[in-house]
Amino acid sequence: MSVPTRPRQRRSAKGGRSSPVAFPVILLVTAAGAAAAGVFAPEDSRTWVLATAVVAWCCVAVVVGTASYLVRRAHRQAVAQGSELEMSESVWRQQVSERSHLVNTTMPGVAERVKNGAEAEEALSRFPVPSDPHLRQLSQVFATALAESVRRATTAESDRQHLRSELDRGKAELERLAEETLPAAVELLREGSSADTALAKVDWPQSTLLRELAEWVVRELAYSERRSAAAQAASAKALSRVQAKTVSMLADLREMQDRHGEEVFGDLLRLDHSTSQLGLMTDRLALLMGGRSSRVWNKPIVMESILRGAVGRIAAYRRVRLHSSSKAAINGFAAEGVMHLLAELMDNAANFSPPIDEVHVYVEERSAGIVVTIEDSGLKMSDAAMRRAEESVSGKVIDLAALQGTRLGLGVVGRLAVKYGISVNYRPSSRGGTGVVVLLPPQMVAQQREPIVSEPLRGGTSAPNVPAPAAEPPVVRPQSVVPTEGGPAARTDIPSKPAGAATGGLPLRTPGRTMAEAERERRKQAPQTPAERGEPGPARDAGSRFGAFHRGRRSAGGAQGGEDTGHASTDD
Amino acid sequence: MIRKPVDVGDPDRLYMVTDGRSEADDTFDLVTLIVSECEPTAGMQSEHVRILELCRHPTALVEIAAELKLPITVVRILLGDLHDMGKVSARHPRAAESVAGLPETTLLQEVLDGLRHL
Repeated sequence: MSVPTRPRQRRSAKGGRSSPVAFPVILLVTAAGAAAAGVFAPEDSRTWVLATAVVAWCCVAVVVGTASYLVRRAHRQAVAQGSELEMSESVWRQQVSERSHLVNTTMPGVAERVKNGAEAEEALSRFPVPSDPHLRQLSQVFATALAESVRRATTAESDRQHLRSELDRGKAELERLAEETLPAAVELLREGSSADTALAKVDWPQSTLLRELAEWVVRELAYSERRSAAAQAASAKALSRVQAKTVSMLADLREMQDRHGEEVFGDLLRLDHSTSQLGLMTDRLALLMGGRSSRVWNKPIVMESILRGAVGRIAAYRRVRLHSSSKAAINGFAAEGVMHLLAELMDNAANFSPPIDEVHVYVEERSAGIVVTIEDSGLKMSDAAMRRAEESVSGKVIDLAALQGTRLGLGVVGRLAVKYGISVNYRPSSRGGTGVVVLLPPQMVAQQREPIVSEPLRGGTSAPNVPAPAAEPPVVRPQSVVPTEGGPAARTDIPSKPAGAATGGLPLRTPGRTMAEAERERRKQAPQTPAERGEPGPARDAGSRFGAFHRGRRSAGGAQGGEDTGHASTDD
Repeated sequence: MIRKPVDVGDPDRLYMVTDGRSEADDTFDLVTLIVSECEPTAGMQSEHVRILELCRHPTALVEIAAELKLPITVVRILLGDLHDMGKVSARHPRAAESVAGLPETTLLQEVLDGLRHL
């Protein structure tokens, strides 16, 4: 830059101005000196001195003249440079002001206008164009870049809004799918609808992706529902065959026990017990699989038989002690369910108590129904275990998914309890273990209409001339504690036994049996009624006694007992 | 589904009646006459009650078995229980008396023939 050179130029210009006066003074002084030298010089050398003085002065004059010329030229140059400097200074100032205008006014203004939507050119045209081409270019580039970025920002913003709205819509659809649609579809599927029905009935989301996903889920769910239903149905079907086989095996065994003698009797009893346990296991599975019990009783079953039927199905039946003086009977429709339920609870009690301890079963008749209490003296159940057991037997959770491992019994108890309205409660036992209180509701207790009830009972269970079980006094196993209060009631009951009078001379056919059978029974019991009625009278006639004797021998001597006898045909 | 007439049977099994026992002692044979010594009491096993009722008059073991529709072995076990408790007494029939009391075999045979000819 020229800024630092300025002082030196100023100084040289000042020196230049002083030279025009100095040069003539020097010429005058030297001329005077030369003249003086010629005057004062000796005569003989005057000429010589004068000549030298003239030559010298001439030389001085030439030097002075040259110097004067050079000084003037330098002075002119300095003046020219000064004006140039002035000019460039003014240009500089203008540029500075333009720059500051550009930075302070133009750029913010242009930015403002471009942001408000103006084009780059239009925004620039409102402002003075800077004279400097670089600045012009800079402002041009700035405006263009700004316009470009503003356009981009606008696009991005609109994109964002769009995406946001789409996202909101998707979220709403997803929420509806999760909270309404899918549960409704699952409900439909659980009710047994096919996947297509469920898909048609429910309002599906608009979004293709969600729709496909939901459809896939529904189809998979329908498939697994179908699979589990098919598996259940197949198991129930297969189990029903096993059940039928078990029942017929039990009947066969009972018949063999009649036919064969003492030598195989124990083995037959063992087989009988094993088959009964098998029956319990099969029934358990069948009930879980939505099947039915293996047997349906078509007559009321007295409480003693109910308890024995239940105990006989568990492995540790000898450890169970029954304390019952109840003569109530359970209606046929519920009898099997009650037996199964009690068997499961007793099995549980026996399994969870030490193998030497007994399980006690008490029966009480209350106005609310029959209360059966099963108490073991095993370990006290923990609170959690008791809660779990309560939950299982309450029947609230009857889903197969809630079953755990081999603990199926309590689940079955829950189902049976719900089906028949039986309440099952766990409580700590006074014997130290756990007690289960089962309340059988009064509607499943058979009404004691003795003559009518006793007739089918007799046909099915006992020899014709024996009083019906329904009219029997309460019975307790030999080991059990005999409650004294039951005594008088039982005694009054004995004379009131029916003696076949209910038939009124007409054959009475029980359900599930043929008329011929009923007729045969009626014939058989007819001659025996006097013997039964006339207690103080003579002994029964020889014929009936001989008949009974003969039948007894037949059933006892199994070897020749192949032929069909009257009672053998009614046996099962 | 049609249920078979087997369901008119009894739910209690014989091993429950005998409490798991299958062996009877030899106190009673088939023709031993049983007489009950007392009335049935409440809380007794139903089979015991029926035996006691049946044996108000002397009754042969085989006859009891036929009446109760139970195998001889089971009745023997039950009678053994009752006998141990002193609720029944057993009387072995005196063969000589009973044989003497009955008509001659030839006479019976003649009666039978006559009946057949009717």
